[in-house]
Amino acid sequence: MTHFHTLLRLLLPAIASLLLGLPAVAQPPVGVIDMQVDGLVCAFCAQGISKRLGKMDATEKVYVSLEHGHVAVALKPGHDIDDDSLRSALTDAGYTVRTITRSDESLDAVRARVEAAP
Amino acid sequence: MSSHSIFPAALTLAAATLMLPLSGIAKPIAYADGSTLMGEYGAGTMQEYQAFYAPAYWWSAGGGHLRMEAEDGSFSRDINYVRGNLLLKRWNLRQAQANVFAWGSLGRASGTDFEGNRTAWNAGGQADFETLRYYSSARTDWQYSRNRFSSRIDTVQLGWAPYAHDWDRLATWLVVQGRHYTGDVYDGIEAAALLRLFKNGAWGAIWIEAGLTQDGAAQTMFMLNF
Repeated sequence: MTHFHTLLRLLLPAIASLLLGLPAVAQPPVGVIDMQVDGLVCAFCAQGISKRLGKMDATEKVYVSLEHGHVAVALKPGHDIDDDSLRSALTDAGYTVRTITRSDESLDAVRARVEAAP
Repeated sequence: MSSHSIFPAALTLAAATLMLPLSGIAKPIAYADGSTLMGEYGAGTMQEYQAFYAPAYWWSAGGGHLRMEAEDGSFSRDINYVRGNLLLKRWNLRQAQANVFAWGSLGRASGTDFEGNRTAWNAGGQADFETLRYYSSARTDWQYSRNRFSSRIDTVQLGWAPYAHDWDRLATWLVVQGRHYTGDVYDGIEAAALLRLFKNGAWGAIWIEAGLTQDGAAQTMFMLNF
């Protein structure tokens, strides 16, 4: 009986998800993609990054920090941009992407975190 | 220095750039899908106006007008040209960037020291290295018209920013410039101290520079990217 209850407890969410058409494991929503970028020193050229990323359908807003070498993209709800597209956009703008991190933070939170870093 | 010794001079300037603290720049290519308008008034000896469009971050094309006036008033020349700019190499470093650019032009020249309009050629290059606080750049620009003139403008700049500017803040640079002309335009080295400001906005970016040479002549420049 105990085993039956344990099994039921494990299976019920999955059954409910199937019935309701929901994913079995809820993924945290991705709100912002934060990238560390090399070569980010020219303010004129950073204008190009903002322009290019801003044209993408999934982009809500772009944040560029020359001082910390970060570029962050706030995504529109329900949208995403894959890593290859991001790397390609930054490479085509003349820069080198070092890391790409996704989070459910707001763009303001990412900005605060980046600017608080030494 | 002979006006034909462009390549040794360019190598010397490039080497000098690498030995200087750090480098920086008015770039002939700002960014992909970006347009650039530039104007420079160089202490009465040169004036240049340019417009470029860059389909990609590594090349741009456009045209311009160059006016050169001899320091002693013995001649002046006007050249209208079409130009292609190429980014030969870029190094993206952590909080730094270095570039090597080259360009070439074809145009028509007129002057007070020869008659009519003549075909004029141009070749040039620039090496630069830049951080948020320091920059250096070395640039050479050679103008040539067969049997009429051959002259070169070599420019070295060193810049220092009193604070690290970020993308959305006004950037301030203090710049010292050394410029050498061949072809009897100016005798010796023309040195200038300049204040440079630039600012990004939703409409694009603007750069304004002004200063004086050791002779007290004004040197100004503007650049607009959009």
